[in-house]
Amino acid sequence: MSWLSRLNPRGPGTRTGRHAAPSSPCTADPETCLMVFENHWRQVSGVLKQRESSVGGFADDLTAVRNHTDQMLCLLAEERPAGGDIDSPAMGPILEMVVAENILEELVQWHVCRGLDPDSQLELLKLFEMLIGQSHQPLLLHSAVLQPLLSLLGACVDPQMGCPPALESSLVLLLNQVCVSMAKETAVLELLFRCGSVQQGPTNLLIFSLLVPFIHRDGALGQQARDALLLVMATSASNHAVARHITENSYFCPVLATGLSGLYSSLPRKIEVRGDDWHALRREDWIGVSSLVLFMNSLEFCNAVVQVAHPLVRCQLLDYLHNGFLVPVMGPALHKSSVDEMIASTAYLDLFLRCITETSLLKTFLRFILLHHHDNDTILDTLLTRISSNSRLCMVSLSLFKTLLSLNCEDLMLQLVLRYLLPCTHVMLSQRRAVRETDLYGKSADKFLSLIPECCRITSAPSGERDEEPAFWGKVLGSPTSESPVHPRPSTPSRLALFIRQQSSGGQANPSSSGSENAPSSPRGSVSSPLSPDSPMHQLSDFSEGETGYLEYLRDARKGIELCSWGCRDWSAPYDGENPSPNSAPLPPPPPTSNPSLSMVQEHFSVMDPTQQRAAVVAAARAEWSSSDRDSGEWDVTISKNCISLTPRSKKRSLLPSSIPLQSSSSASVSTEITGASETVYQHSRSTPHPALYNGMGQVEFTDSVDERMEAKKVKRDSDVNSGMVETGMNGSMGPVDYNDFHVGSTLKSSQVQLKPHLQHHTSVPSSTQECLPTESHRLSPVLGLTESSAASRGSESVERLIEELLERAPSEPLSGDSKCQGISIEAFHQELRELEERVRERRVSSRSSEESSRESRTAPLPSLTDEDCLPVETEQRSSETKPDSSTTGVFSPARPLGQPLAQPYTGPFITVLFSKLENMMQNSLYVNILLTGVVFQLACYPQPLLRSFLLNANMVFQPSVKSLIQVLGTVKNRIEVFAAAHEDFPAMLRKARRFLVARGKLDWSDSAMGVPSLRRSDSLIKSRKPSLGDLILRHTNSPTRARHAAQLALAHVRDGGQSLHSALFRGSAASGASGLEKQAEALRVKNAVYCAVIFSEFLKELAALAQEHAVALPFPPSQGTEE
Amino acid sequence: MNPFWSMSTNAGRKRSDGEEQSGSGEQRASPARPPFGKKQLPSIPKNAVPITKAASPASSTQSANGTHASYGPFYLEYSLLAEFTLVIKQKLPGIYVQPSYRSALMWFGVIFIRHGLYQDGVFKFTVYIPDNYPDGDCPKVVFDTPVFHPLVDPVSGELDVRRAFTKWRRNHNHIWQVLMYARTIFYKINTMEPLNPEAAVLYDKDIQLFKSKVVDSVKLCNSHLFDQPKIDDPYAISFSPWNPAVHEEAKEKMFAHKRRPEDFNKGLPVSGLSWVKPGSTQPFSKEDNPLQT
Repeated sequence: MSWLSRLNPRGPGTRTGRHAAPSSPCTADPETCLMVFENHWRQVSGVLKQRESSVGGFADDLTAVRNHTDQMLCLLAEERPAGGDIDSPAMGPILEMVVAENILEELVQWHVCRGLDPDSQLELLKLFEMLIGQSHQPLLLHSAVLQPLLSLLGACVDPQMGCPPALESSLVLLLNQVCVSMAKETAVLELLFRCGSVQQGPTNLLIFSLLVPFIHRDGALGQQARDALLLVMATSASNHAVARHITENSYFCPVLATGLSGLYSSLPRKIEVRGDDWHALRREDWIGVSSLVLFMNSLEFCNAVVQVAHPLVRCQLLDYLHNGFLVPVMGPALHKSSVDEMIASTAYLDLFLRCITETSLLKTFLRFILLHHHDNDTILDTLLTRISSNSRLCMVSLSLFKTLLSLNCEDLMLQLVLRYLLPCTHVMLSQRRAVRETDLYGKSADKFLSLIPECCRITSAPSGERDEEPAFWGKVLGSPTSESPVHPRPSTPSRLALFIRQQSSGGQANPSSSGSENAPSSPRGSVSSPLSPDSPMHQLSDFSEGETGYLEYLRDARKGIELCSWGCRDWSAPYDGENPSPNSAPLPPPPPTSNPSLSMVQEHFSVMDPTQQRAAVVAAARAEWSSSDRDSGEWDVTISKNCISLTPRSKKRSLLPSSIPLQSSSSASVSTEITGASETVYQHSRSTPHPALYNGMGQVEFTDSVDERMEAKKVKRDSDVNSGMVETGMNGSMGPVDYNDFHVGSTLKSSQVQLKPHLQHHTSVPSSTQECLPTESHRLSPVLGLTESSAASRGSESVERLIEELLERAPSEPLSGDSKCQGISIEAFHQELRELEERVRERRVSSRSSEESSRESRTAPLPSLTDEDCLPVETEQRSSETKPDSSTTGVFSPARPLGQPLAQPYTGPFITVLFSKLENMMQNSLYVNILLTGVVFQLACYPQPLLRSFLLNANMVFQPSVKSLIQVLGTVKNRIEVFAAAHEDFPAMLRKARRFLVARGKLDWSDSAMGVPSLRRSDSLIKSRKPSLGDLILRHTNSPTRARHAAQLALAHVRDGGQSLHSALFRGSAASGASGLEKQAEALRVKNAVYCAVIFSEFLKELAALAQEHAVALPFPPSQGTEE
Repeated sequence: MNPFWSMSTNAGRKRSDGEEQSGSGEQRASPARPPFGKKQLPSIPKNAVPITKAASPASSTQSANGTHASYGPFYLEYSLLAEFTLVIKQKLPGIYVQPSYRSALMWFGVIFIRHGLYQDGVFKFTVYIPDNYPDGDCPKVVFDTPVFHPLVDPVSGELDVRRAFTKWRRNHNHIWQVLMYARTIFYKINTMEPLNPEAAVLYDKDIQLFKSKVVDSVKLCNSHLFDQPKIDDPYAISFSPWNPAVHEEAKEKMFAHKRRPEDFNKGLPVSGLSWVKPGSTQPFSKEDNPLQT
């Protein structure tokens, strides 16, 4: 048979080269091939027939059969169809013989009967794989091929043990080949299905069942298995029987979903973070983490299955994903107690959401986030509270919400914001019609721009140049008689804005942004639109180092709004204040103070052991000590869940509204505070299984910025800070926020932070509080007290002393009020509070009359009062009306009197937390602010009049208790101006900060330009979401040519954060005479404030641009379900 | 009339025919509407918007030397753009306008009269917006060819707009209302205090003669349809005889055009995400049809 061997040069060992051109001799002469084949078969069948008679000679037999089989199958594989038309080609002679004599079946049966050793199995699998992969004929359509294949597969795989590891790769490869040919010949699926059902009983789609265990494998094997499964899915998409089989008889969906759970559990619990600007997992972040890669592969596979599979399969998979992955795994993971784990799980969720492209899968995730309750809170609630946490968790959460906002999902927006705005209770009744108005004449834009602090308006170029524009515009066409007015410069910048629009509406691409079409516009609009060199933008914006071209912001705003309204075009309602009707809208959930979990706490409070209480206070205080210490770099307010919801109404509230009338003496008041604090602690330890949470939180940030040794000096510095002008916020607006938290029973920190100004206040201005309680001047008194007194004389010493005193006394000697507290029941407490409420109500009436006098009594108005001055009515009402609320809705009396309607409009936790974060912009880190303003920007892109009017219409008059964006920004403006006034070198610092941000923007730019080209939506989105300076500052300073090395050097410098960055930027600005650590902390504070000033100014321009663009935006018609 | 005329501007179509009801529901401000602006609480300072330096010298103080004085041109431009957007949303029947290339204060327009005395009339006109808009007088409407009409000046072609807008009130008066008015006069003829006394008298005394004069006037206007635009501007509206080679394709484009976001790309979801049942405010309230493919 030597010539026969020559005829087919490919022995078993040389099969690697099988993709080389098929050997020509076979194709030359089909008859010869058939002869050769017959010859082989004769010899093989000889061996097969002796199998019963001869026992010996196993090895020889096997070798002979193998050799012959190999030759035969090669011949079969290379045989061409014998004519016939393309649709039903006639079988080649060899195939005809194989079918007629059932050759393959006999071969396989022989192997099976004599007992398959792994080696033979491997050989056979490879042979079949070759046969199916290379055949020129649709072999699998013939049951003479299909049956032996299934027999072989059934023999290779033990039903219990699965596939032996040695066979795995061959098996998967074979299955993959089968699926590929099945995808080519969909009839094969039917055959497979029917053949299988005869033999395998319930698990009849054997091919499929065999593949399922490999779904989550890593490497090429897993990929092949997933590809194969996907082919099955796609092929079976229209086959109901197969789909039913998959859902009813296979473990495909459960394996897929629970496999995700398993993979998730092996993900890193903690994400090692490189830079202080890190906030989201980008592809380059996770591509190196094998467990994450594995997970993402499987998630992508789920996405793909959802995309192609039969609806039955899709539904089952989505079901399992929800109930087998999201609920049991993601839910608890998001509620983990350690901050590291929270950060990780939030970042993972963000990443998953960005990766998913299939609408129904997205829906499953969103449904989980919006509707699933974990420990009484929806996932959304939990995520919302994280925004208010300290910086890293906050950043990750903000990033997640940016992702969520970018989905333009009605259901999400409804839960997040719109349901709170729907009843229109936040608007004055007379204003409801104005909800739909747009900013026709730029009034709102002007208002936003006017909030740019004077100190931030650094113009290095005279504005005369720009003044030409108005003049030019002013002289246009006075009368009809000037028939053809000649204009010297037809394309002024302002013309551009108009005509870009017209061009685009005519279907033409905007020439100046055409270069960026490939990248999806980021929520920030951002760097994705490098200007063409001839853009007038350059003339407009080059005039000063820091002034960014407003035109760019307009363009970004337009893009943002267009994309958003495009995304919203299939929403069920316009949300314009009339549809859905405000009257039929269900009442939104109240601020979560009436949360059942809180009443539980309250019970505990009443039976609480006083010594426990005190211990708790001390623990709280101590814990807070270190945590606030560590936080000093960021100055983030840590507001735990259940509390942030209260903060919106707190801004105008006086610092000590409810506690002071509660007790007549200051010492009693202190005791109240303490019980509150103890309760805080207790509640805290109850609501979270691991009280160490906040300590853990502390450590995260601690390493970032401030040294532990600072703890001892913290007191002093704190008081310094409190007395500093900048920190009026701490006591003015931030204070009340904390104060609320305190009452609601929130974090340790807030209680501690509150303690200080409170005590201070009592020592310094005890007498004034009672008199001016309900009025604005009351609110201001603590601020005044603090800011006007010098740090040395009172602030540092008295506070320090008082707190130390308190700490010493608390554990040992009961305070005067403490004894009272331990005995009282919660009912008594309620009674007291109700009385207080009554008193406050009475006062409200009288306060109206005494408004004038009390305002006059405000002897030394702070510069920061200007905003409030503009809104005297609101302020007064606020301070008086909200007071009872603060006491009644707190933990002390969560039970709101029955029947009392929800009088207070509540704009929802999202708005609340965003606004409170915004209000504290000065204390946020640069990166938090970039993300935060980005989220607000994106929120303001939404075209729904309810939302748009709430955020952007400066003319709207809201109910007094509703804080508007303008008001919040006004507060920030004032703080910045106060800060600037207190720092002589502010302009210089501002310039440095701008320069740094511009440089950083360039870095980011070149960074992303050199990155891996993005293949998927998620990548580009992640990239564009990276908060870069490019986003905010000088978007046109693209310099992609910058060397990588230089970029990394500078980046390392940037990421150093803290000290080095600061020293580079603001050398010598720290307070003199202080220790190095204090300097460092002060430096951080200054750094944050200066960066805030830069970001704030740009943010206002963004908002102004949005207000203007909304006025000229055209809605998109609904897609009417048509695929485009 | 020659049915084969066509209208073209250099800027493509101005009215998006694909736009459905979305915009028209927003009756932003009808003249009869109560001026709730005056009911506003005094808390929000009503600083005048600095539209242009020339127009409002007494603009808000903080903008006098601050940077945002430089945003003035944006305000004017955007105000006009917003007006234009309103016009588009109104979908005024038979009226097309196009701001000029050189100035947003000058809009070219054409009006098609579809029935009544002036049926088949195609009147080109120009809207002149005062440069101190929106604080100045009402815009002027001047017909390219003076139409024989009691309210149209027979010499200058100017329409008497003032009688409808005695005082131009920002927030309440909009340019689309002017355009609407310019259309209405051809359907409801008013002869009080006419700019063209002859037309007024004829209309009252000799309607037949008036009609024939109108017919003549319409013919005259239409005979000048293909004239070069009176004002040389790239965006001026010009008519040309129907030329299939040019216009067929343009027409197709117009009908096929679907507005997309400027940055539209394939990565965007095809349809907005919403599972809210219309009329409901509950998330995921829409009937699930899981078996739809």
